[in-house]
Amino acid sequence: MVDVSELTTGMSASCPRCGFMLTRKRRDAYRRIIAFASAGLIFLFVANNYPFLSFSSSGLESVMTLRQTPGALWANDMPEVSLLVAAFILVIPAAILLMMLALSFSLSQDRYHAWMTPVAKTIFLARNWSMVEVFIIGVIVSLVKIAAMATVEIGLAFWAYAAFTICFTLSVAHLDRYQCWQDIERLGVAR
Amino acid sequence: MSAVATGASRELASCHLCYKLAPNSLSHCPRCGSALHLRKNDSIQRTLALLFTACLLYIPANLYPIMYTEQLGSTEASTILGGVVLLIELGSLPIAMVIFVFSVMVPSAKIMAIFYLVWTVERHSPLGPRQRSLMYRVTELIGKWSMVDVFVVAILVALVHLSGLLVIRPGIAALSFAGVVIVTMVAAESFDCRLIWDNMEETK
Repeated sequence: MVDVSELTTGMSASCPRCGFMLTRKRRDAYRRIIAFASAGLIFLFVANNYPFLSFSSSGLESVMTLRQTPGALWANDMPEVSLLVAAFILVIPAAILLMMLALSFSLSQDRYHAWMTPVAKTIFLARNWSMVEVFIIGVIVSLVKIAAMATVEIGLAFWAYAAFTICFTLSVAHLDRYQCWQDIERLGVAR
Repeated sequence: MSAVATGASRELASCHLCYKLAPNSLSHCPRCGSALHLRKNDSIQRTLALLFTACLLYIPANLYPIMYTEQLGSTEASTILGGVVLLIELGSLPIAMVIFVFSVMVPSAKIMAIFYLVWTVERHSPLGPRQRSLMYRVTELIGKWSMVDVFVVAILVALVHLSGLLVIRPGIAALSFAGVVIVTMVAAESFDCRLIWDNMEETK
């Protein structure tokens, strides 16, 4: 057991046995999450509405959007993989950002709502299952793989998704599990 | 060995989800309502069951093609390892290394690492608990990176569809490989890394 009640802004506590960081108090954590999460959602919107990559060979061209990534698997009789890909790169990350936005907004205003507990639970359960950064590496590998076969062009949506990945990673990094639950509990009791 | 009092010695359990310390006699966390245990339920059995599932799925994932390339009427099937070999032949060694590390080394190393951690919970280990805790954290961290190959197939299938000229279709190994990644991630999650330390405290 470690007493972290004396922790002040900018400090962090680590496990005395295994050395893993337990919790960290950051300045303006919730306001930063609001900023990163809203920027991330805007980038995700752009990423979904513009061409992601385009591919041309011998005068023929095909354009791919982000949604077609799971869509094409579905059309090729792979509904399970299609749903998994859609969940890992779009649905789960978008849901996490939306929930973090709502939660951080209320926490930064010191307001308590009954939905905060289930929402925070969902965020921490789903957090491991977002694979946005893995998908970016997948895109880069794919680019190299087909660069030998034909001409590939990177669309606006790719850059938007890359920016979304950065915003997503930063907002998740700012949500400290221990501090978040402490704050929810404090507001719940005070009410 | 350590001067730090553990929660377990004072009948306190830490919630897996929100880290709240609560009396071990409660069945649910008073803060977030998750089921409360001193250690994760049947951690070893569950982890082992999931690891064996992952091993079984790993066989079709490597034997069957992960994608088919249809070029001017002829179809070519490629497996995960075949894809690595092809990339080396094409001269893109760095990308071949990336695929080899994420799709071949990471999943097998992960399965072996968790097996090792489970094995050493009840036995003597040449690695200290601190090193094994680090091993667990790394295993947990790299878990999802194996998904790269599945995403590559998804992207290629969506991007390359010039009817009659060049079409890429997904193979069944994509499904089994996604299964391996997901099952090993759940296996890592179901292993309670505090078991590493429990053993040490009993023997000392």
